[in-house]
Amino acid sequence: MFRFLSVTAAVLLSGSVVAEEFRWAETTDPQTMDPHAVNSSPVLGFLGNVYEGLVRRGKDMSIEPALATAWEPIGAGEGWRFTLRQGVTFHDGSRFDAADVLFSYERASSDAADTSSWFAPVSDVVVVDDYTVDIMTTAPNPIFPDSIANWMMMDAGWAEANAATRPDPENGNHATLNTNGTGPFRVTAREPGLRTVLEPFDGWWGEAEHNITRAELTPIQNPATAVAALLSGDVDFINPVPIQDAARLAANEGVKVIQGIEARVIMLGFPHEAEALKYSAETEGNPFADARVRQAVAHAVNVPAILQTIMRGNAEPASQLVSPAMRGYSAGLAERPVYDPDRARALLAEAGYPDGFSFGLKCPNDRYLNDESVCQAITGMLAQVGLQATLDAMPVQNYWPELRADNYDMYLLGWSPGTFDAEHPIRFLAATPDEAAKLGSWNFGGYSNDRVDTLLPQIQSEIDDAARQAMLDENAAILQKEVAYVPLYVQPLVWGARANIELTQRPDNFFVLRWVTVN
Amino acid sequence: MLAFVIRRVLQSLLVLLVVGAVAFSMFRFVGDPIDNMLGQERTQEDIDRLRGQLGLDQPFVVQYVKFLQGAVQGNFGVSYRQGRPVSDILMERAPATLELAAVSGVLAIGIGIALGVFTAIRRDGFAANAIMSLSLIGVSLPTFLIGILLIYLFSVELGWLPSFGRGETVRIGGWTTGFLTESGLKALILPSITLGLYQMTLIMRLVRSEMLEVLRQDYIRFARARGLRERAVNFRHALKNTLVPVITVTGLQLGSIIAFAIITETVFQWPGVGLLFINAIQFVDIPVMAAYLMLISVMFVGINLIVDLLYFAIDPRLRADKTAAH
Repeated sequence: MFRFLSVTAAVLLSGSVVAEEFRWAETTDPQTMDPHAVNSSPVLGFLGNVYEGLVRRGKDMSIEPALATAWEPIGAGEGWRFTLRQGVTFHDGSRFDAADVLFSYERASSDAADTSSWFAPVSDVVVVDDYTVDIMTTAPNPIFPDSIANWMMMDAGWAEANAATRPDPENGNHATLNTNGTGPFRVTAREPGLRTVLEPFDGWWGEAEHNITRAELTPIQNPATAVAALLSGDVDFINPVPIQDAARLAANEGVKVIQGIEARVIMLGFPHEAEALKYSAETEGNPFADARVRQAVAHAVNVPAILQTIMRGNAEPASQLVSPAMRGYSAGLAERPVYDPDRARALLAEAGYPDGFSFGLKCPNDRYLNDESVCQAITGMLAQVGLQATLDAMPVQNYWPELRADNYDMYLLGWSPGTFDAEHPIRFLAATPDEAAKLGSWNFGGYSNDRVDTLLPQIQSEIDDAARQAMLDENAAILQKEVAYVPLYVQPLVWGARANIELTQRPDNFFVLRWVTVN
Repeated sequence: MLAFVIRRVLQSLLVLLVVGAVAFSMFRFVGDPIDNMLGQERTQEDIDRLRGQLGLDQPFVVQYVKFLQGAVQGNFGVSYRQGRPVSDILMERAPATLELAAVSGVLAIGIGIALGVFTAIRRDGFAANAIMSLSLIGVSLPTFLIGILLIYLFSVELGWLPSFGRGETVRIGGWTTGFLTESGLKALILPSITLGLYQMTLIMRLVRSEMLEVLRQDYIRFARARGLRERAVNFRHALKNTLVPVITVTGLQLGSIIAFAIITETVFQWPGVGLLFINAIQFVDIPVMAAYLMLISVMFVGINLIVDLLYFAIDPRLRADKTAAH
């Protein structure tokens, strides 16, 4: 009997080794298979395994060739010329060429596409020959190749044959459920919200680094269930691991925890423009309009303590709107305000609030890691210097409408730059809000600085790296000096995997299947 | 008879309409779906355009009337999250929930009645007392805790059963079933125990108290005095007479098994309509939320309507009153 069991076990074990099946779980199911319909990381991160762009990001986030083998600026910055890779086929066998690039541009920049903002600087796309494409920009755009790493190529013929020439996020179409990319994996089964099965694409142009023969993604919303599934071996990989479970999982044999920092910076925002506080009984006017008060907040919040207790040592303090892993980070401005409650009190007294004041702090409770706990800690720390915050934490789908309606005196915000470049948060968070120019669309507090507004277009069109960095540094220095925001920390990234899995973690939290090895 | 039925049906419809109206007036407090549907690079213009497209800028009464117009034609709209017709999604998800509810119901009734009879007959025995004490756990522990405990014991520690999901399913027409595969059956065990535990303890306690009541009756004593065998007395005479209230309660509980499946499905990542609803709330997927709430209320209203009509059929006094009034 025992022999029979051990033989069966050996057969089962060897069977699982040969198959190299890889199962993983994420909190969110990619809501669509259409690479242009939704600009969100669960969708783009997943589809990056199936579709490919002209360029892609390597293990260190640097831009490397994908469907384009080379690219160079045209003239004095009128645009970019991309040389396409030859011999690339889509999963259905049709050839990839310049017509597909033009089609993918028209599709991804159309009104119905959620990715159209990537193409705001583009004036025209010109097909030079079958394997050369010119993308013209309205102004010199040095980071354009960086900004299109997630722009994925779709086959024009396939889209036309299946009536999916434009994305349809509201009603869906063939491309919502089906895929036809050039990537290393193709989708062989798709049941929304249940499971998505991938198998390697034999005709892929690249050299396979992975050894997977079949991969299955299951969304598991409940964090405790995901942890149990990893521990019991029902899945090989989960993202994310709840921070409070990380240490326990790491101590477990057979399971490992992979930690890093994400691109997302968590910060406090202020109502720069408001006439008066909304949630204060006694205070007249808006104390937060005074930079000294904002500086006092920066000194009153003990970031290392928050990271030690709430983040269990998994996060890094932040000094500016981008993390050190991003292009254009200002290395000379890496120091963040020290925790110094006495100095905070002195600054408040100087600004005319020796006894502090009361106000309302708005916070999401399901958007960022442990967001509500962080806000509770901040509330306690601010109270130490006389700033009496009333915390109002809410689900994220109620949170953004509140911020848009200016219902806050201080708020918590996380920002992950889509382009992985320091210019991105300036455009969205620091530029004076301007609806027509699509500037400052997340600058809820209406922060405004002429110099920042002047520098932004220059940064956007500066070709010379050193000159560009100098302007980014100047910009970051202004934001630090004026305390436009109080950057707190860079959000941690905590993944869990079985011990026999080798993988690579990237700060954009994209899970790249072609770097996975099952041992 | 006909007038009574028509009146009850009309009342049920009214209840449905009110439930729908309350649901729609609540949706605005669930949050704004727009931010989930557009990426971070959206502009105010995009937000306004999409809101107009979805009709979210209209008062909730208008949205509700539009929903009703579609619903009576079987069209529940398109899911904001998945971009597919809600009715398709519900049809895909319903088998998982119904199979889970059916197994839980059978477990609850079978084990509940058996244990109820046992604890009534051996009311002072050690085993019966132990079962009664343990049954307090079923009544008092929250479902998600029971689910997590079962997962940790049977999946993580012992490795016997899967920790989540439905296993392999077989498609028969428009229905997917987990009954025909080994992994499907294994996957059913933990969720159905979790879901059925509360009902099981409820039925057990009900059967026990009814049974104790019946066992005190004179006809049971006479049966015993006649020398009938214990088994015949307990099961043929006593149990039969305890079942009437049990059946009533069980019928009403059937609806709650399906409705309470939400929590069990979330813990076990069970791909049913309950999980769908939870996801819909997180995403503010109004068409899915509306369709789910309407279906659940149709179910409850329907069960109550049937119960009312059954009472009418069974109880002649209801009919007598009506004829006397004329």
